[in-house]
Amino acid sequence: MALFPQFVIDSLLQGGLYVLIAVGLSLGFGVTRIINFAQGEFVMLGAYGAFWLLTLCGIDPILAIPLLIVAGFCAGWLLFQATVRRVLEAPALNQIMLTFGIALVLQNLAVMLWTGDLRSASPAYATETWSLGTVVIIRGRVIAAGVAVLLVAAVLVWLRLTETGRAVRAVAQNRDAATLLGIDPLRIYALSFAVVTALGVAAGAVVSFLINITPFMGFPILLKAIAIVVLGGLGSLAGTVVGALVLAFVETAVSYYVPEGPGWTEGIGFALIVAILVLRPSGIAGHSVAA
Amino acid sequence: MRTALWVGAAALPIAVTLWGPPMAVDIAFRACALVMLAVSWNMMAGAGLISLGHSGFWGLGSYAAILVANDFGFPFWLSLLPAMLCGALVGAGLALVTRRLRGIYFAISTLAMSEGLRVIAVMLPDLTGGSNGVYLDSSLSPGMLAVELLACAGAIGAVAVAYAVARSRYHFALRAMRDNEAASQMLGVAPARFRLGILAVSGAIASLAGAINVWYGGYLDPEVAFDLQTTINAQIAAILGGIYTLPGPVVGAVTTIALGEITRLLLGNTVGGSLLVFGLVLVIVVLLLPYGLWGFVERQRRRPRRAAARLEISEARQ
Repeated sequence: MALFPQFVIDSLLQGGLYVLIAVGLSLGFGVTRIINFAQGEFVMLGAYGAFWLLTLCGIDPILAIPLLIVAGFCAGWLLFQATVRRVLEAPALNQIMLTFGIALVLQNLAVMLWTGDLRSASPAYATETWSLGTVVIIRGRVIAAGVAVLLVAAVLVWLRLTETGRAVRAVAQNRDAATLLGIDPLRIYALSFAVVTALGVAAGAVVSFLINITPFMGFPILLKAIAIVVLGGLGSLAGTVVGALVLAFVETAVSYYVPEGPGWTEGIGFALIVAILVLRPSGIAGHSVAA
Repeated sequence: MRTALWVGAAALPIAVTLWGPPMAVDIAFRACALVMLAVSWNMMAGAGLISLGHSGFWGLGSYAAILVANDFGFPFWLSLLPAMLCGALVGAGLALVTRRLRGIYFAISTLAMSEGLRVIAVMLPDLTGGSNGVYLDSSLSPGMLAVELLACAGAIGAVAVAYAVARSRYHFALRAMRDNEAASQMLGVAPARFRLGILAVSGAIASLAGAINVWYGGYLDPEVAFDLQTTINAQIAAILGGIYTLPGPVVGAVTTIALGEITRLLLGNTVGGSLLVFGLVLVIVVLLLPYGLWGFVERQRRRPRRAAARLEISEARQ
């Protein structure tokens, strides 16, 4: 068990990152009741945005986050008005296919613009390490987890303490009642879709210096996010935090302590999805709406 | 008139396969494989079950066929049976596991099944050859013509099965399940049993398509077998052609293959080009043509009865 402290720290760092990846999907579903299959592609575009800002303008990925958030927010708002708005009342099938189609378009636009080559944003801190006794910590991962926690905290504060955030939660809980109180649900949907897009893009900037950037990175990230959100209970932000930590700990445990573990880790999310859907479809935290 | 159209549509791929130029034969083969997938996908959709896991059935069938052929020397014809059996069993298993799940929850579990199978195929190299892949023992091949003709037969058979389901009492039960599963249960339909039946049949058809395809291609690795692209193609074909209809998936499969060929001609071999077009098609069809090409044609023909059609739409929206 000499590895144990290292295992706990690695799991926590991974968990922080997972929360950031999944929080957008969770918030989006909580409010609009649509699983956005294009969320992974927003992360991919954010990663490319951070990469190009670093390569062409020398802007550090962390400092690029505010810029990318603004761009993501505007793009998300436009995308909602042009497409998602029209399927809000449609059957689940249409909603899934629409966001799937958007994902395909974004992914392959990226392939055509930037080819399938692997890229990586590499600021100095990405590879620097600290060692504390037997434990080795990569600075880039600590920074990433820290930024992730800050962003998620900002979302929670927004939802809890601001007038607009409360309106978002009201619409998530009961759309008709919220409408009667004078909240325009369409505006709230547009706003939350824009916020969710901005979160995805910000997550992309954070992962840009941790993993390889390719046009195809979005789908595996989406799958992780889906696993986390299902694990925590669809639509529950608190559940999403728990789900992210559970997935991070189980994955890290398997890759540390099971023979050939690293190869199996990819499948853990899927096994957990099936297990949770069969045993407790409302997720670990039980069923509840946004935050 | 209708019958003549169907017979013509069935005869066309056979004629092309027998007498067409090699490139046309290849296109006909891929169209037939996609017809099977799209019919199978549409069958699930018809019962309100959204599949994001058709590459799972396809890959499972391919692996079953290639493994019984290589390891036990099964000939072409015989290798298709275990493939279909695997597809049917996994479909039935999925039905049992997802008994209570609907809509997006069911869709997510099919996605998890398909991706989970891919990971298993990578991690069991002793069985599947792992990421290195596995080649079909070419001495067992019955010749390309037999494989291509069987693909035609498979496509025709799949449509025939879908027709039989659409004509039977099953059809009404499934449609009731799609609209409201709880209500259908109260009316005496047993959704769990119908779900089991439809998933088994649909899974077997998709696995058969994968199995025939592996005899055509001769090579398999987990990324090829469980490629998400297969699922996407099945969805696009069914939705573009018109879901919940019998001719829809057939029309859609042929159009999808044609679209792929046209974009390849126009864009050359630009990577991502045809997928970009597929994505746009998906977005446009969902937003502007929710009943697909076939639905559009039907609606044009029934124009005089517009008021009735409008009523149907408003019903479908609820």
